[in-house]
Amino acid sequence: MLEVRNVSKAFFPHTINEKIALRDISLKLASGDFVTVIGSNGAGKSTLLNVVAGRYRPDIGTVWIDGSDVTKLPDYKVAQQVGRVFQDPMAGTAPHLTIEENLAIAYARNRKRRLRLGVTRQRREVFREELKILELGLEDRLTARVGLLSGGQRQALSLVMAAFTQPRILLLDEHTAALDPQRAALITRLTEELVTRHQLTALMVTHNMEQALSLGNRLIMMHEGRIIFELGGEAKRMASVGDLLAEFEKFRGSGGLSDRTLLS
Amino acid sequence: MIAALDLGLIFGLMALGVYLTFRVLDFADLTIDGSFTTGAATAAILLVGGWPPLAATAAGGCVGLVAGLMTGLLNTWGKIHPLLAGILTQIALYSINLRIMGRANVPLLRTETLFTPLREAGLLGTFVSVSILACLLALFVSALVWFLSTDVGLALRATGDNEGMARAQGINTDLMKCIGLSLSNGMVALSGALFAQYQGSADIGMGIGLIIAGLASVIIGTAIINNGRLWITAVAVVVGSIIYRLIIQAALSIPWFNPNDMKLLSALIVIVALLLPRWDVFNRVRARSRERQFVVEPWDTPDPEELDSGDARPPSQGVTKKAGRKNNA
Repeated sequence: MLEVRNVSKAFFPHTINEKIALRDISLKLASGDFVTVIGSNGAGKSTLLNVVAGRYRPDIGTVWIDGSDVTKLPDYKVAQQVGRVFQDPMAGTAPHLTIEENLAIAYARNRKRRLRLGVTRQRREVFREELKILELGLEDRLTARVGLLSGGQRQALSLVMAAFTQPRILLLDEHTAALDPQRAALITRLTEELVTRHQLTALMVTHNMEQALSLGNRLIMMHEGRIIFELGGEAKRMASVGDLLAEFEKFRGSGGLSDRTLLS
Repeated sequence: MIAALDLGLIFGLMALGVYLTFRVLDFADLTIDGSFTTGAATAAILLVGGWPPLAATAAGGCVGLVAGLMTGLLNTWGKIHPLLAGILTQIALYSINLRIMGRANVPLLRTETLFTPLREAGLLGTFVSVSILACLLALFVSALVWFLSTDVGLALRATGDNEGMARAQGINTDLMKCIGLSLSNGMVALSGALFAQYQGSADIGMGIGLIIAGLASVIIGTAIINNGRLWITAVAVVVGSIIYRLIIQAALSIPWFNPNDMKLLSALIVIVALLLPRWDVFNRVRARSRERQFVVEPWDTPDPEELDSGDARPPSQGVTKKAGRKNNA
């Protein structure tokens, strides 16, 4: 479904500030895979997501979605097949538009936008059904402005908007990090529900190791632009946070990595 | 007074264009000073050349579409700052306008225009012309509101509201900016074409400082009527344009002012409209009236009989018992 082939990416190349974010990364996601990505700050996790989303163009290597090369497509074209949720709850929705208008924008993501009313009775029913899953009562507030919602509600809405058009890939970039623990737990639960409901292929960056272990069927650990460790299937189910920390320990000497930076 | 209504409605079309860029697209577009005149110049020169009034007016609007597109391309494809992109197009249009007209002023007094039938019947500046223009504006407001409710329109609004989100939702934001700027300047140019025919001439300087009038209309309109709904805001912008013209006319009727002071007046109106909401005067008045509502006066505490009566209804907010008693008496 998603394939990243030998991708490298450097920021500020050929300057004193050169920062190599990705070093020859290769990653393959089968249809239905839910991969969690962990790693210290600056490991290249977000860069990887942005490369997949078409936000950054890799210096070397290619990105394939569902058998077609999307490396050179602009981000908005890649977005037709990719749903994204950002860390900032404010980033995924348009505050001055209503809930139903936001959903209509997401609904048209993988369709051609025409001169037809965005919110119709038919679509409203679809939106209501999707919002019911959240159990936040948003289905009764379709005409409320999104700017009036709380951060948690906005993030839940972003999640629905990213997922309900059944994108080929769902990208989640630390999407629970800016929320309080209770809301984060809610969003985590919703993520699991939506991915199952729509049978999505997902790539999720997180700093929370427990979350990384409890969600998804595969886990990758990144460090200094490389994938240093991978877990899948049974091994992932059995693994504990302690096991992950032990894996990190191995790279401590080589990269000056500490538990503190990992867990922050 | 009625002439101000006519003008307010004609310039209301321009204000709608400004609303589309400034508020919906969040793009400070200065092209309109130029494109207004372009619309007027194109329509005027075609009318003098014997075109039918409706076609000439429409052509004026179409030239505005192109002008807006130029600014859009400078900004998106050329990655030039919105303000600079607008000013560049505007200044280029000044020369183009002179080229179109061939001179600085094209009189339309003895030419057949859209307003000729009304003028000959002596109905210009009466409620007949006002109602006709009001119908025209109603048509444009409805069309704009409908457009902004379509899938494309929603994409355009998302582009202005949260560009990052728009791109993540598969929206080509560059294209949306070009569409928005193009439509906006089309409306502005159409407004210019109508105004030239209304006043009986096209003039190279007629668009100077127009952005101020547009901004004033948007600010005044949305300050007076604002419940956030799209079509109400669009109507409010047109109402704002009318109010602006009325203020200008009222100010010009003060003996000391003369028509040359108009630009100064329009700048002052915008400054006041921008500063007024920030001054504490209004907030203080509002806060005080709110306080007054919640003060517990002696007659607000229940007397023994009331406590006995079993009436457990909460005292209604804002209405004190004293007021209630007065009404009963």
